[in-house]
Amino acid sequence: MIARLDAAPKVTGQAKYAVDHNFPGMAYGYVVLSTIANGELAAMEVTAARHTPGVLGVYTPFEPLELRTPISQMLGEGWVPLQDKEIAYYGQPIGFVVAETFEAARDAAALIEVSYTERPALTSFAEGLATAEDAKTGPRGAPSLSVLAEGVESIEDALAASEVTVDATYETASQNHAAMEPHSAVAVWNADGLTVYTGNQGSHGPADELAQALNIEHSAVHVVNPYVGGAFGGKGATSTPAFLAAAAARNIGRPVKAALTREQVFTATATRPATVQRVSLGARNDGTLVAVRHDSWSSTPMSRSFIEPTSHGTSREWYATENLAISQKAVPLNIPPTTFMRAPGEAPGSFALESAVDELAVALNMDPIGLRKRNNSAAPPGEDLQWSSKHLDECFDIGAARFGWSERTPGGRVDGDWLVGLGTATAMFPGLRFPATVGITLRADDTAVVATSGADPGTGLLTVLSLIGAESLDISPEQVTPRLGDSALPPGGTSGGSTATASAGSATMVAASTVIDELLRLASSPGGPFDGRETAYADGRVFADGRVFADGESMTFGEVLRAMERISLTATGSTAPGEERTKHSFGSWGAQFCEVRVHRLTREIRVSRLLGVFDAGRIINPTAARSQLLGGMIWGVSAALHEGLDVEANGRFANADLAGYLVPVNADIPEIDTHLVEYPDTLLSNVGARGLGEISIVGVAAAIANAVYNATGIRLRRIPMMLEDLLED
Amino acid sequence: MRPFELSTPATLEAAMDTGGTFLAGGTTLVDLMKLDVLTPRRITDINALPLYGIDTGDGLRIGALERMSEVAAHPGVYPMISRALLLSASQQLRNMASIGGNLLQRTRCGYFRDVTMPCNKRDPGSGCSAIGGANRMHAILGSSRHCVATHASDVAVPLVALDAQLRLRGAEGERTVRLADFYRLPGDTPEVENVLRQGELITEVIVPRLDWAAWSTYVKVRDRQSYEFALCSAAVALDVAGGVIVDARVAVGGVATAPWRLAGVEAALRGEPVARASFEAAAAIAGHGTEPLSQNGFKVSLVKRTIVRALLELTEGGSR
Ligand SMILES: Cc1cc2nc3c(=O)[nH]c(=O)nc-3n(C[C@H](O)[C@H](O)[C@H](O)COP(=O)(O)OP(=O)(O)OC[C@H]3O[C@@H](n4cnc5c(N)ncnc54)[C@H](O)[C@@H]3O)c2cc1C
Ligand code: SF4
Repeated sequence: MIARLDAAPKVTGQAKYAVDHNFPGMAYGYVVLSTIANGELAAMEVTAARHTPGVLGVYTPFEPLELRTPISQMLGEGWVPLQDKEIAYYGQPIGFVVAETFEAARDAAALIEVSYTERPALTSFAEGLATAEDAKTGPRGAPSLSVLAEGVESIEDALAASEVTVDATYETASQNHAAMEPHSAVAVWNADGLTVYTGNQGSHGPADELAQALNIEHSAVHVVNPYVGGAFGGKGATSTPAFLAAAAARNIGRPVKAALTREQVFTATATRPATVQRVSLGARNDGTLVAVRHDSWSSTPMSRSFIEPTSHGTSREWYATENLAISQKAVPLNIPPTTFMRAPGEAPGSFALESAVDELAVALNMDPIGLRKRNNSAAPPGEDLQWSSKHLDECFDIGAARFGWSERTPGGRVDGDWLVGLGTATAMFPGLRFPATVGITLRADDTAVVATSGADPGTGLLTVLSLIGAESLDISPEQVTPRLGDSALPPGGTSGGSTATASAGSATMVAASTVIDELLRLASSPGGPFDGRETAYADGRVFADGRVFADGESMTFGEVLRAMERISLTATGSTAPGEERTKHSFGSWGAQFCEVRVHRLTREIRVSRLLGVFDAGRIINPTAARSQLLGGMIWGVSAALHEGLDVEANGRFANADLAGYLVPVNADIPEIDTHLVEYPDTLLSNVGARGLGEISIVGVAAAIANAVYNATGIRLRRIPMMLEDLLED
Repeated sequence: MRPFELSTPATLEAAMDTGGTFLAGGTTLVDLMKLDVLTPRRITDINALPLYGIDTGDGLRIGALERMSEVAAHPGVYPMISRALLLSASQQLRNMASIGGNLLQRTRCGYFRDVTMPCNKRDPGSGCSAIGGANRMHAILGSSRHCVATHASDVAVPLVALDAQLRLRGAEGERTVRLADFYRLPGDTPEVENVLRQGELITEVIVPRLDWAAWSTYVKVRDRQSYEFALCSAAVALDVAGGVIVDARVAVGGVATAPWRLAGVEAALRGEPVARASFEAAAAIAGHGTEPLSQNGFKVSLVKRTIVRALLELTEGGSR
């Protein structure tokens, strides 16, 4: 077992997260939020707050901190707090109080009296459907798309001509990432500029946004995040506390620390949208899919920050079909910003598509695995580019054998007071990678540093860097110090899209071969230990005469550097997605299996067994990989049975704390079995890894709903599923 | 949290004199102080007072400061009490929280806990946000136009089933009150939840001896399997002779504004055979007089099902 390098510091409390940084003279900020969902700030009475002992500054849109709207490469136009008086959602940041202590800031904040000119708020997704608009911002292209077989006029015709059809509408709730570490920052200005300690998914993005927002040179901003307490897509953009702490620290000339409270995290950050999805499937009697139609609606805030691309994330690519039509609409509401959350598109999209496939299996009286295998795709419908490496059938075969699928009966079984059912679903996540640069430094003491500015928000990237660095330099992992989470390091992109291993990993390999070339050149250069001779590299050593053998004349790289009186030698390597995307389609695949028990009388749904079998390319660290898979599958249980924001008519979230926003506890989670079929995907990148941060949440909710159907004969088409959904009287 | 003055008296007399808000485990009080729902200026830590001990000589006497975990683990405690405690909160909370504090815990209504929202219980006369709002967790029994919040304690449910009493001690001396009479329904004063007087202490919980309560259980139905309040719960005990129910105790939680004893269900069980049909017929009475809200209509069915399940688990040892 490979232990995580950050395991010991984390479990012993040694790991310093953003808010663990303290500085002499530091002040504390507290964010104030709106209590209406639509309107304008009429006035904010701050006199009492300002006169509270210890208060150093009270900032509002009437007396704002100066911040400009940044434009980010990844996320487009950003948002900075306190710049205008418009209120577009309940819980919007409208003020910032800075004081000598956290308590003083918070108590003063409670004294601020806000008056609003209120407008009617549109907060109900159901009501908003009437004014839905085409989603222009779908990350995977145009809002709608159709692929029709020759001679077929429309998807309606294709469905009408199908021997068997199913047609149903599914709903998924809005969710918040609710990472353990709330969004927070400590900002310190000195002669060189600004340093901000803040948890994020890659420190270059926030550094860039902060420089723009504060109107200072890029080189004057330093963002540090060696440890991140969870991100899941919710820490891609610079947070409100980071902008406000940085601006206020400049204003009062002292370091400022600011953190959102747990309750504030639910509205003052961003959430996963709610969705409504209608899926129609048409098939021949033998189970061959001939028509797939998937229309989706996603909630979105008035700023249209993000829509959940459920149709594009699933039906676009998953099954072979001659006829396909998908569409994506946005439903603008007075709700907090929306953003990426673990498997955006795929997670809620798979609930609809994979439930519909199960409904089709029932209509066809076919085994759900058989139906899926029959419609396995070699390439996305209507496209020529074949999957680079796809072993989904094998995932289903292994899973079925391990899970005892053959014992499943169409009506489930009964065990005492419990109705027991089995369900399955496909999982898929696209194989992506992002541009990344990694620097490798060989040091005279025979150690190496592998460094990039990306983040390890709990994914295990730090350990992966040391493993790939060691492998590429042909030395032991103990000789490698990986470094992450600092914008002063080479730009390592973002931990997002399950890309970090493929992106940073392949850049590490490029950096390693560059630094080795450099080392060999140095060794054979005039004055070098192998002056004028051929050299070769293996096992951390430079060999003379270009030949590597056991007793050959050789020196370690450290010895070479010492001989040349060098402390170190550094090179960087960069990679970016390129050519490969013109040759293949890329995706990780998986088969989810689940057993549920439903109480005959009181109808609680309990997950009693879970298995996920995944095809995710090469696995670098099996322990961390399993841990990622478990986390995703547990989150799938959460989405299926627990998690969902409850938006009230006035735009307030009725359950914006961890007492009301339920996530599973240990007792809700059974033993989870995972298995990986390992086929390195070197067509995607030279590391062969495809990433597995997100795939394991995909399909879980559908597998559970399908198992509930098997157990009870009741089809639940909305998540989270509640016990009352199964009460018939 | 607002600044406060703390005193730590060692005797009951001294505690009475402080005039402060009592602090036992603090799991309700400190929680609500952090949310600014409770803002006491003076706090009296009562943990040094001699309110400990569990005596099972004749019935049960439990010192008010005994921790939930201690009471649950005591061998002399009726099964439905220990089960209700073990299904409450989490181990960490049960280690801190006292039995006296448990009976005085406040409702989990989300509007009560959010000071920016109208709530008659927290701010009399401001209105009840739950009636037209998120009320899935709320009461279908004992509610009023002014408040529909449930009483959230689990252990109070078996305690009312067992007709427990509280020993109270105040400036005017000591008195004993039946737990069933201790709680007040919201009516038009939801801010008044019980008959405790200003400065009065709960010193002891007394459970009268009921030997057949050794055959009792507690079933809790909730949105997750641990660490969550009840959507509905039922405490049941049966006295059976020759397959016929001689006597029964039934109380429910999670559905009413106070722990709710169902005398009608008990009466309907008496004289009936131990059989599913008897349980179902009796449980149907639990639906009488229920007043569901917009989101909790399912509780009318659930309360009956929970009672039947509890009776079946007790008599058949139904699988968990
Ligand atoms: C996250 C969470 C989950 C929970 N889940 C459950 C659950 O599932 N089931 C359940 O039943 N409970 C649950 N609880 C509630 C918990 O059981 C109570 O908070 C606890 O029992 C209160 O006891 P305490 O000693 O901490 O009371 P404190 O917080 O110290 O006091 C509570 C109140 O009682 C008063 N008080 C305390 N002792 C006395 C006394 N002897 N005489 C007079 N007044 C007194 C205090 O002044 C205060 O007003 C949960 C609580 C939390 C925080
Ligand atoms: S139900 Fe009671 S506690 Fe809840 S808002 Fe209404 S008055 Fe307040």
